Amino acid sequence: MVGSFWKDTVEDVRRAKRGWRWGHRAQVPRSAEPFVPPPSRNVYPNDWSRTPAAMVAREFAQKVGLEPVFRSQVRTRVEGLDTLARLSGPVIFAANHASHLDTPLLLLSLPDEWRRRTAVAAAADYFFDTWWRAVGSSLLFNTLPIDRRGGTMSATPGEVLRDGWSLVIFPEGTRSKDGWVGQFRMGAAYLAVEQGVPVVPVAHRGTFAAMPRGAGWPARGRRQLTVRFGDPLVPAEGESVRQFAPRIRDAVARLLDEEQTDWYAALRRSVSGETPDPSGPDVAQWRRVWASTQSPDVEPGKIRAWRG
Amino acid sequence: MTRPGFVLEVDDRTPPLLVHEGLGFRLEEFPLGTRVIYPPEPVATVPDVDQAIREALLNPVDSEPLPELLFAGMKLTIAFDDLSLPLPTMKAPDIRGRIIEQVLEMAAAAGVDDVELIAALALHRRMTADELRHVVGERVFRSFYPQGKLYNFDAEDPANLAHLGTTEKGEDVEISKRAAESDLLVYVNVNLVAMDGGHKSVGVGLASYKSIKHHHNAKTMVHSRSFMDHKHSEMHSSAWRMGRLIGESVKVFQIETTLDNNVFGKPYDFLMKREWEWSVKDQAAMLGMRRGLALAPQKLRHKLFHDLRGAYGLTGINAGAVEPVHERTVRKVHEQQRVKIEGQADVMVMGVPYLGPYNVNSTMNPILAACMGLGYYFNSYLGQPVVREGGVAILYHPLDEGFNTLHHPSYVDFYEEVLAESTDPHVIGPKFEEQFATDPWYIHLYRTSNAYHGVHPFYMWYWIAHALDHLGDVIWVGGDRRAASRMGFRAASTLQDALEMASGAVGTSPSITYLHNPPHLLADVR
Repeated sequence: MVGSFWKDTVEDVRRAKRGWRWGHRAQVPRSAEPFVPPPSRNVYPNDWSRTPAAMVAREFAQKVGLEPVFRSQVRTRVEGLDTLARLSGPVIFAANHASHLDTPLLLLSLPDEWRRRTAVAAAADYFFDTWWRAVGSSLLFNTLPIDRRGGTMSATPGEVLRDGWSLVIFPEGTRSKDGWVGQFRMGAAYLAVEQGVPVVPVAHRGTFAAMPRGAGWPARGRRQLTVRFGDPLVPAEGESVRQFAPRIRDAVARLLDEEQTDWYAALRRSVSGETPDPSGPDVAQWRRVWASTQSPDVEPGKIRAWRG
Repeated sequence: MTRPGFVLEVDDRTPPLLVHEGLGFRLEEFPLGTRVIYPPEPVATVPDVDQAIREALLNPVDSEPLPELLFAGMKLTIAFDDLSLPLPTMKAPDIRGRIIEQVLEMAAAAGVDDVELIAALALHRRMTADELRHVVGERVFRSFYPQGKLYNFDAEDPANLAHLGTTEKGEDVEISKRAAESDLLVYVNVNLVAMDGGHKSVGVGLASYKSIKHHHNAKTMVHSRSFMDHKHSEMHSSAWRMGRLIGESVKVFQIETTLDNNVFGKPYDFLMKREWEWSVKDQAAMLGMRRGLALAPQKLRHKLFHDLRGAYGLTGINAGAVEPVHERTVRKVHEQQRVKIEGQADVMVMGVPYLGPYNVNSTMNPILAACMGLGYYFNSYLGQPVVREGGVAILYHPLDEGFNTLHHPSYVDFYEEVLAESTDPHVIGPKFEEQFATDPWYIHLYRTSNAYHGVHPFYMWYWIAHALDHLGDVIWVGGDRRAASRMGFRAASTLQDALEMASGAVGTSPSITYLHNPPHLLADVR
């Protein structure tokens, strides 16, 4: 009797865990999608997350919790940090977006003094719809809610920049479905023009291969990630948002090209308009995904034993 | 904004789905492709209930306003639905009580002294004083019950029955004498489903066995397709004929109310949510309740469920002449319950919950469970049944609650003696019905105790006559094998086993449709 009770309890918990995908976002059956209620417009405020006390807590969470776990799961190579040495901040980091690993990769790649003063623009409807997601992501990643549905951004990112915080923005607005770069929205360019702050383009590779959409944890085998910071872009006098936005995307594309070649080759290709399109080749979807699932090889030519 | 009902197709993203089974529920993983019918969410309720009642009484449909029908020296009778509606019982104050209070305020203003209130329970069990108090409210109860002016209808009291004649089809119309001799009969309905109300209110609720037997029989029931569609229901046609005859001699002021489908209040509201939208809290509540129920003894589980009160809201109220009022009511009920479905299925799955109309504050014996599943849920359709002719019904219920000898004494004998001989409604009716209906002991218990009339179990069996006629097989998942077998059905341990058993009738890859209720839904099958 007692035995069967515990057995049934375990079975119930297992079924619930499997059925409601504990640890993952809930899924909606396809036939029920037309009947999903609009997501809550309720955004939990997180001004508290930029107070000194929260910064101390975050430092502890990132250094003691996040960083050791992150480094134990992936290998990283960071390039172009010398760019930051020439800047005094605040800046907007504009990066391509392929995985939930992008944010910790960027933050943990930054020098500590930059990391401590950098916030991450995060979708309000995704990260701020429940109090525990809002608190968790604010505390760990210093996220800042932005509205990605409407065209207008809330006033908060501008205020944060004015207060001297740098901001990470993923201009694509969502994670890539196949690892390649999508359309860039205007948000980063708009903020840069409005607030007069430089944009530091950032390109990274390997996060899609390590932890794509739908995965809850990085793949086994300490996958390689690379991240490259580019030269800051400053809106020219009288340059409009529409003119400035493509420059950001071009800069990210050039950095991605630089990953494959070298700085000078990428520069020359950029000048002659031959930078490969970061949105990837127009081939079958599986080939696009297949190519993206290859982790970057930071030491080509080195012969290694087979890894499991 | 209320979301409409819809048909879910189970896919790889679908979590396990809730299935009620008596005093509990389970989470079932249905085969991919199973269609699941979800009722609409609760529709908008009236902003001010008392104001809505007043409006309805002062601006009735095809009738003078109620105050104009009331005058000093008149004989006023107020009849109301018994506790079989709504399910579960409504949180106090009950809507009937609120309406009756306003009717009485108007009657008092008109100087009416001769007022009687009758619980229109036909052949159902008598309500206890507490149950009556809950329905009519404390003020009304205190004013009328001690004087004997608030009472249960007695269908076996010849001195207080009046024979009003026969319909063109030879059906006897015999109803409460008090109601028949009143200057005005006000009937207060709770129209939980489309079957309730209309001419069925007075024509059945206040009628005797002599009258009711004309439509409560296997032949009529098989040709009621369905009970939820009175224009295609033989039973309703008969009640309509009787009602029109009654209308020739009695002035009836019909009041019908419609409710939303908020059947489970907090913290059980997860039982009504769509599973993929369950929050962490809902999942925790589900797990806690499942494990708690597994530990709890039967009595505690019974108490837990039967103490639940529906948090219903009033969606509409109409008053006036019976037929136009009922048309409006049906439209409103459809708005809350109707779900369009394309085509019939090979297999229909239903979870029979702990409660049906005939076991309020009582036990759901196997006959009532069968009636709830194969009588009510099966028949809750418009057009054609959810399952094709020759298809299979799979029901969930343990069939182990036993019989309540206070409320259902004749059920015990019906189960032991009648069903042992035959389960065919067409056979048992002619052979045994008369004997049970006229048994002096059952009549005594019906009149003086709280027992259902002796003939009542036959009616339950007639309710399922259409399903038995239509279906190729009936299988109870988790059901007591002996009880299922006694009723002519089969039992299976799991859905997979049941589908295996059904494969003889519907093949190995049948189309399956699961009716996800409660809350109640009405399948509009095209």
